[in-house]
Amino acid sequence: MAGDYCLTGLAVPTSIDRLQDLLAQVREDHPDIDETDLFMLETAVVEIHGNVVEHGHPPGRLTYAFELDVLPDRLVGILADTGSASPDLGDLDEMADEMAESGRGLWLARSVLDELEYHRIGSRNSWRLVRVRHDPAARAQGA
Amino acid sequence: MKITTAKEGRVVVLRLEGRLNLVAAPRLKATIDEVVATGTVFVVVDMGQVTFMDSSGLGALIAGLKRARQGHGDLRLCSVSEQVSTVLELTNLNRVLRPYPSVEAARDGW
Repeated sequence: MAGDYCLTGLAVPTSIDRLQDLLAQVREDHPDIDETDLFMLETAVVEIHGNVVEHGHPPGRLTYAFELDVLPDRLVGILADTGSASPDLGDLDEMADEMAESGRGLWLARSVLDELEYHRIGSRNSWRLVRVRHDPAARAQGA
Repeated sequence: MKITTAKEGRVVVLRLEGRLNLVAAPRLKATIDEVVATGTVFVVVDMGQVTFMDSSGLGALIAGLKRARQGHGDLRLCSVSEQVSTVLELTNLNRVLRPYPSVEAARDGW
């Protein structure tokens, strides 16, 4: 696998913490990355992967792979899984009702990213996540 | 995620610590249900030590809010991080779950 950072495993609930631990490592390795960019990317990764953990089929038997490239101008992640069903992409277009207890995940993922693409590649679902990097100093001045 | 429960007069303060995500959300929902079932319907959720919240965590808070209101009470958040605040704003839930700066501010008026 390519990518500055890579993680693979079974798409079970504990894998969400593994992904977040990996992103915490990215935070530590790259103090120059704007914190907002990192937590926005983390939010998207957790929402998309959480969807796989919760709704992927067959449950408990899917594997996932995540790779992340830290580029000078953007953060690019690829999140793939071996699930048989494609996600309900209708969630990307409509926000859930205000008092709904679920149904916001994919919409939120798209909201925090500059690019979000889904592809079915052979027997795998593949998401490409892009967050353009901002200058932390410029953001601090603007605050 | 760690949840600490403290009864302070007619209010229960739930102090959360860690990541409020898909794994932790059911436990938060169950905790709020238990609190309201005991008859204490005013709940403050202290998010000061919550490092991350996803839509599952948000769903648990909404469920808790609905539960508290069914009992003629309310649920308020306080001390949210920038990530949590951003999730609330992006989902337009920063009015329904308006974050307060502290536990004291959140319980004011109850």
